[in-house]
Amino acid sequence: MQDERQGTPSTHPGSTASGHDGGDGQDEPGRHDEPGDVALQRAVDGVSDVVGSGSEQLDRITRVARKLFRVTATSITLFDRDRAWLPSAQGTDLRTLPRAQTFCDTTQALGDLLVVHDARDDERFADLDIVRDGGIVFYAGHPLTDHLGNVVGTLCLFDDAPRDLDEEGRADLADLAAWAQHELVSSTEMGQAREVQASLLPAEPVSHGPWRAAGTCLPALAVGGDFFDHGVGSGVLHLGVGDVMGKGTSAALLGAGARAAIRSTHAAVTAGADLGVTATQVARSLTPDLERAGAFLTVFEAAVDLDDGYTRWVDAGSGLAAVVHPDGSWTTLTGQDRPFGVFPDDHWSEHTTTVGPGDRLVVISDGVLDLLDAPETPWPELAAIVRAEETPDDLLDAVRRLARERTPLDDVTVLAVFRQAEEG
Amino acid sequence: MIDIDVSTDRGIAVVVPHGRLNMVAARQLRETLNGVIEGGTNRVVVDLAETTFLDSSGLGALISGLKSARQAGGDLRIARPTPAVLSVFELTNIDKVLRPRADVESAFDV
Repeated sequence: MQDERQGTPSTHPGSTASGHDGGDGQDEPGRHDEPGDVALQRAVDGVSDVVGSGSEQLDRITRVARKLFRVTATSITLFDRDRAWLPSAQGTDLRTLPRAQTFCDTTQALGDLLVVHDARDDERFADLDIVRDGGIVFYAGHPLTDHLGNVVGTLCLFDDAPRDLDEEGRADLADLAAWAQHELVSSTEMGQAREVQASLLPAEPVSHGPWRAAGTCLPALAVGGDFFDHGVGSGVLHLGVGDVMGKGTSAALLGAGARAAIRSTHAAVTAGADLGVTATQVARSLTPDLERAGAFLTVFEAAVDLDDGYTRWVDAGSGLAAVVHPDGSWTTLTGQDRPFGVFPDDHWSEHTTTVGPGDRLVVISDGVLDLLDAPETPWPELAAIVRAEETPDDLLDAVRRLARERTPLDDVTVLAVFRQAEEG
Repeated sequence: MIDIDVSTDRGIAVVVPHGRLNMVAARQLRETLNGVIEGGTNRVVVDLAETTFLDSSGLGALISGLKSARQAGGDLRIARPTPAVLSVFELTNIDKVLRPRADVESAFDV
């Protein structure tokens, strides 16, 4: 499989740029005539999705290249169907150009270093716009490959005078290309990890009679240790918010395991099983992993009966849940139990409350405290924010706005359950 | 990196982290505590008077230190947390196992 993909670039000389047009709307490999073509485009999509419009890491590389080689311009060029785009460039304002109008298209086809001493004398390039009108004379480009060997872009040098690249220069360019490749691949992997983690969260908010529930999870880094989950079974809404100590990849891995363990209790919880018992079971199963990693996990879980609002809940050191009432007052749901993973023989107990008509149950992770003016007494401010919004989705939008304004240092998670006031 | 002072007096180690106990500093504290306990001192007081911030990673380092100390037949106690840091212990119900002590000298009296 890998060999097949690696072979792909060389089977596509520059003139096939227009050949991609027919495949533009098609993302499903199985429906495409040329699977290799799709594989390459998907590799490029993977890189370009996460590199986005700009990257300081890539800029560092193009800046160093321009200094090192003393050239007019440098760029990292990626291919996007029939376009070439420059997520990072120095010495030029160009950000996109038609793929057929680039040197890099040929470099990609070659899959090897391409050095053009004087493009005006080279019939392959003499008619390119950037040569004829743009004053580019010298070009050197090194291919950049993804982890499967697909050529997804190039690191390029441009100059307005004829030049050569000696052995040492070629080695330097290869080193810089390896660096650029590393940045592209690692950002792609983290981007994919982020997508996978996001896909583990509930896809759809809950809408059931007068009840609406929705959550959001904004990792501080590419991935995070927070998670939330909700599901309805037997007329009971089972919900949970978890926060693994720390942030980043190790917290995310433990969080994924914890979410799965809690979800495995869903059927029992919605059927009426005591949340203290199920939480204790989950904690027992997770404790060895948490202890090995030297981590712990705070959890808040609740089971809301959608007929009458009778709510059972368990708090494992989270301490950040409350029912906000229509008059703006609130009841915090905070137990005495510790997080999972602190002591192997801890137990957790179920508590009860009622989410009445017009009440709103809100569970947050401690990252939300970073967004508040007075994090030590969060509920006055949180209750006001919760009451100000019409729906859980509006509340989540308000939290996202705060997160954009204040750049929290920790993962931010909010799960909200709104019960409409009774008609009439 | 933050400054972590360590001193030992009559078999009790006093560890004083200065500044913010965040994810990076927590790793450092964890290693410091392990070093102290593996070095043979199983009674440890962490003086938090100079700690301005403590997140869940910092809490994790203290708990892992507590476990190591107990495994070694001793204990780990915390003293003099600021109100902000104390609220982190209370929020997570960790204040029941790591009961904050009013001063370093008497932390092991009871």
